[in-house]
Amino acid sequence: MSAEPIDAGLVADDADAEDRRLLERTWKYASGLWGWLAEVDHTKIGIRYIVTALIFFALGGIEALMMRVQLAKPENGFLNPDLYNEIFTTHGSTMMFLFAVPIMLGLGVYFVPLMVGTRNMAFPRLNAFSYYVYLIGGLFLYTAFFLNTGPDAGWFAYVPLSGPQFSPGKRVDVWAQMITFTEISSLAVAVNIITTAFKQRAPGMSLNRIPIFVWAMVVTSFMVIFAMPAVMLSSLMLALDRLVDTHFFNPAEGGDAILWQHLFWFFGHPEVYIIFIPATGIVSTILAPFTRREVFGYMALMLSLVATGFIGFGLWVHHMFATGLPQLGQSFFTAASIMIAIPSGVQIFCWLATLWGGRLRFKVPLLYVLAFIFTFVIGGLTGVMLAAVPLDLQVHDTFFVVAHFHYVLIGGAVFPLLGGLFYWYPKITGRMPSEALGKLSFWLVFLGFQVTFFPQHILGLEGMPRRVYTYLPETGWGDLNMLSTVGAFILGLGVLVFVINMVASRVSGPPAGDDPWESDTLEWSISSPPPPYNFQYLPTVSARAPLWHRRDDQPVVTGLRSDRREFLITNMMDADPDHRQVSPGPTIWPFFLSLGVGITFIVGIFTPWGLPIGAVPCAVSLVAWFWPRGDQGHHVLKEKS
Amino acid sequence: MTQRPALDVSELPTTAFGIRDPLWWGVVGIMCIEGTMFAIMAGSYFYLRGGANLWPPAGTLHPGIAITTLNILILLASIFPMHRAANSAEREDLPAIRLWLIISTVLMVAFLIIRIVILHRLTFRWDSHAYGSVVWTTVGLHTVHVVTGICENLLFITLLTKGPVEDKHMDDLRLNSMYWYFVAASWVPFYVIFFLDPGLLGATAG
Repeated sequence: MSAEPIDAGLVADDADAEDRRLLERTWKYASGLWGWLAEVDHTKIGIRYIVTALIFFALGGIEALMMRVQLAKPENGFLNPDLYNEIFTTHGSTMMFLFAVPIMLGLGVYFVPLMVGTRNMAFPRLNAFSYYVYLIGGLFLYTAFFLNTGPDAGWFAYVPLSGPQFSPGKRVDVWAQMITFTEISSLAVAVNIITTAFKQRAPGMSLNRIPIFVWAMVVTSFMVIFAMPAVMLSSLMLALDRLVDTHFFNPAEGGDAILWQHLFWFFGHPEVYIIFIPATGIVSTILAPFTRREVFGYMALMLSLVATGFIGFGLWVHHMFATGLPQLGQSFFTAASIMIAIPSGVQIFCWLATLWGGRLRFKVPLLYVLAFIFTFVIGGLTGVMLAAVPLDLQVHDTFFVVAHFHYVLIGGAVFPLLGGLFYWYPKITGRMPSEALGKLSFWLVFLGFQVTFFPQHILGLEGMPRRVYTYLPETGWGDLNMLSTVGAFILGLGVLVFVINMVASRVSGPPAGDDPWESDTLEWSISSPPPPYNFQYLPTVSARAPLWHRRDDQPVVTGLRSDRREFLITNMMDADPDHRQVSPGPTIWPFFLSLGVGITFIVGIFTPWGLPIGAVPCAVSLVAWFWPRGDQGHHVLKEKS
Repeated sequence: MTQRPALDVSELPTTAFGIRDPLWWGVVGIMCIEGTMFAIMAGSYFYLRGGANLWPPAGTLHPGIAITTLNILILLASIFPMHRAANSAEREDLPAIRLWLIISTVLMVAFLIIRIVILHRLTFRWDSHAYGSVVWTTVGLHTVHVVTGICENLLFITLLTKGPVEDKHMDDLRLNSMYWYFVAASWVPFYVIFFLDPGLLGATAG
């Protein structure tokens, strides 16, 4: 390392201001529509992810309310069976692929670079591309939905129902291609997050000082990389079966319908943890400032995340107990499914210990964390129950399962997410959200949730099947269903109040300042919202809670050039400075590439020629993207004669 | 709070090779994703095989052990010039890089042409049976990778001819080679599964 400490005083004020002007010019956000499409800044793209995902959350929520209205009383006629199928499929697909995963990755895109103390993601243009591909996938699903071509075979699209014989038309193809879009997007973000977290940390932030949220995003990203190829491949096989008559899932020609379930759940179960692990990262992040202490058991928490990441790949078959598996297989996957309760339990106990030893401030984010612990423990317990084969066979395909996974996904992921959005809102917007409205929406959401989903446990035990559009009056399920529907509207109202709070505080909230919660991580050391270059001088880190251990004369990094987009690459283990690189600036080509990808897959629904047709715009965009223009400040080489 | 300059990084280099470079991590990430995809493809092959009475299905003829073996040797041979291109990039020897890239591209194109001949000799199509589906889809996926590799090489050859070549391209070139090792090597298991399989070797040449 060539850098050495300098003892010569503080940074001079006027040189400081001049440097800031230069940085502002170099990292300026692009303007206009063209500039909007060309933007590569991670905070801008992160916000787009978050806002887009919240819009899809609202759409998925409206679909949920429509289902609840239909089920409120026996033999209701609000939705016909066909529309009900489309709506529950679109609800599930939206919540999993267009809301939960993208919003978690979006938070990662926004906060990982800030938390590790760098200026942008490792691959800013890839980041822009990921967002556009995700957006195209979402718009495509909803365009098809409103053209009465929305998928209707469930968010898991089981064959043979989704195969060419039983699902003619294009509905399932829309689902398969939407999967491809969102998975391409997630995979690209995952690689980006890992690289950023491993190579761009502030000097001194060794592996054991990385904020837990960043660890959570890294583990999630690894899970994305090894899980999502399975669903990309299986949705490709499904599309081929439907378009060019391959026989992957056709038993008459040597195919196998169960193969689909294996491939889907090999992705589908890790998917649950891809959503849940970032949420646990948010919980650990929120706990520190609101208990006024560092989170208990950093190493145990971090290792639990990693353990969850590994074990999460060993449980997929517990979704398939009803398919008739060998007994050894059933026992193995039962054991694995129960085993994953161990790292989850370790985390819960670490959080409880943090709460035990802390001085609690009962603000909205902490309330969501407490609601999370309460609700997730219930969902976890029903999860352990479902891991047992006899019980699973009894309640398979009933509302008990619906209740279980909503406890896990809403309690385990959406509660921390709402808490996290509230917590980070001042950093993102520069304004404080209203605490009163926040508490009101919290109680509506929390109580509405319990009223909606707790009765579904009982309905499931009484035998009410899921995915059916109605039931008979003689079943006696009417009252509990009505209760559940009432709860759903309370929950919906709570979310509405949350959104109103976000929108109103954007305009009229009091200024937040840099660090309104007195937090411990680096994103709170800069102005709110962050300047385009994030840190004028990259920070150095000497503790796990850098802001609680900073000194009056905080040591910083100097020597990065301000007249081009320079940032510091550090080594993976100890974050020692290694070399400098130039971060690419705004460009329109990732946008055009995403359009090319869109053409490829949308045309591909109708003809196999989609691939060669779409390859042309993709190739043109890629060449234009990578062709050097000499404006990034790189050194030009000459041929040696 | 004031800030004290403590770490001057202005003397650090602006390029680095291998694991030190973020782009290396990006390419390794892509290789993990696509390697997983190929592995799952192989897993699906064996899953379908496990449920079949006769595998490959009756009437399947071997496209020829000589031509399929020759072709994988050509593919593996293309690794050598790519490796030399990477070494030349380390020395910033632009004419040498171009030469080795051209040689490897010729080998890649030869591989593709022979692959088309092999596909013509197959006695089944993707819509004949599940065996046909899995073989054709795997070949298709891998072919997309080979075509991408050829396009990347052509792009680099053009860049090296027309310029401007920047210092960071030397690292791009090394990563381009690394990615090609992966594409070439990933066909080896499928060569074994599809063409060295005892069930197939017993079949008559087509």
